[in-house]
Amino acid sequence: MRRRSFLLAPLLLPGLAAAKAVTPYASARRGTQLVFPRDHGGHAEFRTEWWYVTGALDLPERDIGFQLTFFRIRSGSAETLDSPFAPTQILFAHAAVTLPGGRLLHAERAARVNLGAAFSATDCDVHIGAWRMQRTGADEHIRLRALDPGFAFDLHLTPTQPLLLQGENGWSQKGARPELASHYVSWPQLRVEGQLTLDKTHRAANGSAWFDHEWSSEVLGEAGVGWDWVGINLDDGGALMAFRIRDTSGATVYAHASLRDAAGQVTRFGPQEVGFTPLRHWQSPRNGARYPVHMEIRVGPHTLRTTPAIDDQEIITRRPLPVSYWEGLVRLDGALRGRGYLELTGYSGRMAL
Amino acid sequence: MLSIVGLSKRHPGALRPLFSELRFAIGTGEVVALVGESGVGKSTLLNCIAGLELADAGEIRVGPDALDMLRLDETARAALRATRIGFVFQAFHVLPTLTVAQNIAIPLLLSGVTPAEHPARIESLLLRVGLAGFGPRWPATLSGGELQRVAIARALVHRPALILADEPTGNLDPRTADEVLTVLLERVRDQHAGALIVTHSQHVAQCCDRILTLTPDGLE
Amino acid sequence: MTTLAWWLIRAQFLSRRTATALSMLAIALGVSLGYAIHLINDAALADFSRAMKSVQGEPDAIIVPRDSAGHVPLALIDEIAGDESVALVAPVIETRVRLGRVPTAVKLIGIDVFSAALLMPTLLPREGAATSGGIFDGGLYASPSLLDDQGLRVGAGATVIRGESRWETHIAGDLPAMAAGEALLVADIAWVQAHFGPREGVGELRVRLMPGSHAEAWRAVWAKRLPPGLDIRAAADNAARISNISRAYRVNLNVLAMVALLTGAFLVFATQLTAVAQRSTQFALLGVLGLPPRMRLLQVLFEGLAIGLPGSALGLLLGYGMAVGFTRVMGGDLGGGFFAASTPTIAPELLPGLGFFILGCGASLMGALYPAWLNRIQPLAQALKTGFAQRPPGQASPAIHGRRLMLLAVAAAIPLLISLPAIDDLPLAGYAAIALVLVLGIAAAPVATNLAFGAMARAALPAPLRIAVQNVLQAPLMAQVAASGLIVSFALTVSMVTMVASFRTALDQWLDAVLPAPHYMRSKGLPLPAELLAAIERPDAPFARIERMATGSLSLDPRRPPAALLVREIDRADPGARLPFTGAVQAAPEGRITVWVSEALQEVHGLRTGQALHLPLLGRDVEVHIGGVWRDYARQFGAVVMSTGDYRALGGRFEVTDLALWPRPGSEDAARRWLATEAARHGIESAESGDIRRISLSIFDKSFAVTYALEAAAMLIGLFGLAVTLAASVWLRARELATLSALGFDRAMLARAVVFEGALIALVGLALGLAAGIAVGAILTHVVNPQAFHWRMPLHVPWNQVLPIALATLAAGMLASRFAARQATRLPAAQVLAGAQ
Repeated sequence: MRRRSFLLAPLLLPGLAAAKAVTPYASARRGTQLVFPRDHGGHAEFRTEWWYVTGALDLPERDIGFQLTFFRIRSGSAETLDSPFAPTQILFAHAAVTLPGGRLLHAERAARVNLGAAFSATDCDVHIGAWRMQRTGADEHIRLRALDPGFAFDLHLTPTQPLLLQGENGWSQKGARPELASHYVSWPQLRVEGQLTLDKTHRAANGSAWFDHEWSSEVLGEAGVGWDWVGINLDDGGALMAFRIRDTSGATVYAHASLRDAAGQVTRFGPQEVGFTPLRHWQSPRNGARYPVHMEIRVGPHTLRTTPAIDDQEIITRRPLPVSYWEGLVRLDGALRGRGYLELTGYSGRMAL
Repeated sequence: MLSIVGLSKRHPGALRPLFSELRFAIGTGEVVALVGESGVGKSTLLNCIAGLELADAGEIRVGPDALDMLRLDETARAALRATRIGFVFQAFHVLPTLTVAQNIAIPLLLSGVTPAEHPARIESLLLRVGLAGFGPRWPATLSGGELQRVAIARALVHRPALILADEPTGNLDPRTADEVLTVLLERVRDQHAGALIVTHSQHVAQCCDRILTLTPDGLE
Repeated sequence: MTTLAWWLIRAQFLSRRTATALSMLAIALGVSLGYAIHLINDAALADFSRAMKSVQGEPDAIIVPRDSAGHVPLALIDEIAGDESVALVAPVIETRVRLGRVPTAVKLIGIDVFSAALLMPTLLPREGAATSGGIFDGGLYASPSLLDDQGLRVGAGATVIRGESRWETHIAGDLPAMAAGEALLVADIAWVQAHFGPREGVGELRVRLMPGSHAEAWRAVWAKRLPPGLDIRAAADNAARISNISRAYRVNLNVLAMVALLTGAFLVFATQLTAVAQRSTQFALLGVLGLPPRMRLLQVLFEGLAIGLPGSALGLLLGYGMAVGFTRVMGGDLGGGFFAASTPTIAPELLPGLGFFILGCGASLMGALYPAWLNRIQPLAQALKTGFAQRPPGQASPAIHGRRLMLLAVAAAIPLLISLPAIDDLPLAGYAAIALVLVLGIAAAPVATNLAFGAMARAALPAPLRIAVQNVLQAPLMAQVAASGLIVSFALTVSMVTMVASFRTALDQWLDAVLPAPHYMRSKGLPLPAELLAAIERPDAPFARIERMATGSLSLDPRRPPAALLVREIDRADPGARLPFTGAVQAAPEGRITVWVSEALQEVHGLRTGQALHLPLLGRDVEVHIGGVWRDYARQFGAVVMSTGDYRALGGRFEVTDLALWPRPGSEDAARRWLATEAARHGIESAESGDIRRISLSIFDKSFAVTYALEAAAMLIGLFGLAVTLAASVWLRARELATLSALGFDRAMLARAVVFEGALIALVGLALGLAAGIAVGAILTHVVNPQAFHWRMPLHVPWNQVLPIALATLAAGMLASRFAARQATRLPAAQVLAGAQ
């Protein structure tokens, strides 16, 4: 699960705390039947939502990681304001490329809906300016476009497997209390074809990717300060997702994992069956945060290890206030092998929620 | 100090030349008086020698290495005047806006004598023309005789080869005139310069070493 | 050699202190005026651009509607944001509002914080300041200056009013990055839009392109794709437009400064010429003693430079002081009204300073050039004996035919020049024509003196007068110098007075025509409160007649400032009742939108009555019919008048901003009271036509104050030049006068002769100056003003001002020559005749 939005929201929107109490946010209800493609679209009545693609490209040199994420926030402000661009729905986007040799390129955008940005409520189609994530109905392609002076990509994602509804039919619990939950849909093992532009040079690229779409109104309990998450496309065609929420002491508040094997059989693991143990830390030269980039993950009977493609995959966003976290391409070894993304948040000081 | 050969001058439009084929020389330490009736061309001759007017033909050579004045351009003639010729005028022509010492310093400045030498030279000349201590004074506070002594000092300060004087005592009373003339003659001889003095005064002429009389027919 | 040069300069300055000091002052005046004008304008411009940058950021392109009723549609924002070259779009709504009952209108900028954070960070509210309701919840943020000025308190409620729209909100915080003196409000763009419009879009879209994009090419591509009601601009265009609109005014002022410098050069000329004449014997002596001829030329130039260098240096100091003083007292506006709100900080500028310094030195060198040349060519032996020769030898009679031919050529060039159009909006040919008129005036001086004095010489005159006349005829140089100084200065004075008087008369008549009603009410571009408009219609309101007007703006050319759009309750069949038309009025064709354009608009765009014109109106391109051209001195960038009927037919909302009111007969006092109460209640302006008229004229006078100062300076310099040259010419003839005195003329007779001579010279100078002045005035009114400012007016020579000035000058000239005569005749005749200096 991606919680950057939670980090950003209170900083960005000073009035949110006050507004939250009166805003009738919808909550993720157990037993809700998700309908597609409608539920690929935005759910404006929820407080937060994200469409998230991470993946690895196979170019001659080595693994290249990429991600493109769109966040939607219902600010709770100006709900009744009669203006086509009332600041009720705000979109943020992040794009990053991890390059072998130690470089992480990162760019971001932010806009409110109807002022150069929009999302569809009927299918996955969200954009800020020229940055876009759009599912085209016929062949279920997802097209990603992001461009920045440093890098650009234009990729087509083709599903090779059905959707993976996380938790109970897409209802994903995030804490002990039942309100702490989200709707969470994953689409692992997407085939990637397209173009990556680095230093103004276009290169054909293909690889595999992981798509997440999650929406909720309240996920993180009072105790949580950060989280660790992995989403891995396994080499044998399987898919693994695991997360835990940490408290101030670093102890696990809640954890969950799901594993779909190559045959399509899904196994879910409860809080007791999932464990994250740091093996090696990498310290950020920028803010001194120590990230457990090398992690041992226990999922039921499997013991797994993550190895980062490069150590420095820290992202510092400045829009509009600096928030730091680690998110990057890793290799998974051990009982299961594969490639995917590891996210580590809440390591650079305490998060103000 | 001065040698003139075949000098001729005719004013533009005049029927006959003012003078023609003049020939004379002035030696070291020699003072020559030039006399003649008004309008006979004394001043023009003087102007020609000074390079202020150009003669039509002939040669004028001033000083030891004898440059021909007629073959020099205006700037070179001015430079020649600055280094080789000293002037004394009837009307003194002491600049009223400069002090006595500054007036005397003009030829030193124009002939490029190093400034360090100026005070000594000026002082010694002032002493010799009988105006010791007059250096800082303004010309307006001086009498006619004193002004002409300043002019004489100015004419000699840069040690010219030739002094040209035009009625140097013409504006002075007889007694002062005598004094001034004496100073002029003594100093010219001191410095081994030559001098040509244009005068109407018999007395002045008598005091000179030689008298040239300019007539319409030439020099006598 | 330099020692000698320095001695001579010092001697010259010491012996002619007044003349030298005045020449220096004249140069200093020219330099200081030029420099001060430059500094003030530059500072005001910099101030303006800085303010503009802080509010606007530095986008690569700005997309704006061409008329004030237009907007940038949302679909276009999305389209542009989606362009791959675009890094960021920052939509903005800028409007003017009032806060509660405070009468001054305040700029309210609606921003989107996400884009503003990157493009216009100075507009961002203080972080975390909001206690209840931040910017997204409709919080209002005020610049620190505004908070101070209006005594606002963070957290307090605020009512934002514009016309019929009211917005009840609260002050949520301040704008910490806003420069002091900047008064504005910031709110979220959606809240501003919801309350004050525009309905389906935003007011302006600022675009930041990806680094490395070619901004100009991008703008060119989009310029073709934009809907008709929109313009695309570079950010620099706005600053450039401000620079452009004030440019003609600045150039005009700078030309005046150059005129002051020119008169300074003339004074140097007069001073140096007389100095050369007076010292001809000295220079001859130095020449005889061996001063190189070149040095006789250079010495005079050195002396000119010795006036110019300290004069220019003093001028720079004075100019800086003037600029600082002026901006402290009056702000950054020199009277042109372009920077009326700015209070810039003056910083000395090196390069322009150097430029004006060089100009000052150049002017004094120029003034010294002819005297230096005269000095150079003096025949030494002759000068030593008889003094100054006015003409070089062998040039006894200048080719009079050649001079006449030259005069004719110059005279022929003038009509040619004034028929040329403006170059780059500057009336350069007009200025050249003015210079030629002055040259012609000066060149005509010898001919005129010869004619006048020749005629006098033939007349039977008393002996002293005959002598005076003879003198001038024999030695015309000094007389010409004296006369030409007067010609130039008097011509300039007459031309300025004429131009200003023509303008003022025209303005006066125009005010009559445009202020038909006894009372006016307005709210500085804001719509008037609906409550007031309702109250005025009620039967108990003491008015017989009310005419409403709404103001807006439209842009016909993105490189120019927008023209005003005036929507008026005007009779389409008889617009002449309200507008001062300059020519024929064409009846408004039925069913066609008709407009009446102002003269400025007509000139800039080459419009004709009866032609069709495409105007950006309400975001569309509308074809209108030009019903006539009217005179407008109020809006330099043009105005378009349209009837309310036509505007409504186009679908426009008639938001009244101005009212013209006619009280019911007998209830004038009641009306006055009624208006005073309502104006105070709603915080708007109410004025009687008489007041408006008085204020307009006083603004006019203020804007020409600089001109008056320059005129006075020119006149003083001219008079002083006359005195100097007259004194010199008398001085040069001291011997002659002494001879006359020895022959039995008494002092009084001689003095009379000299005064008569002075008067004659002054008369010639004044007559020529008057002729040249009227000609220059005509060029200013008919060529320079229309080309630079698009103001046309009939020529009006204010004899009641010109004649007294002429008489005063004549008297001053006679006084100066009397003084000169006294000086000359005071010398004992015997001494002078003895030839001693």
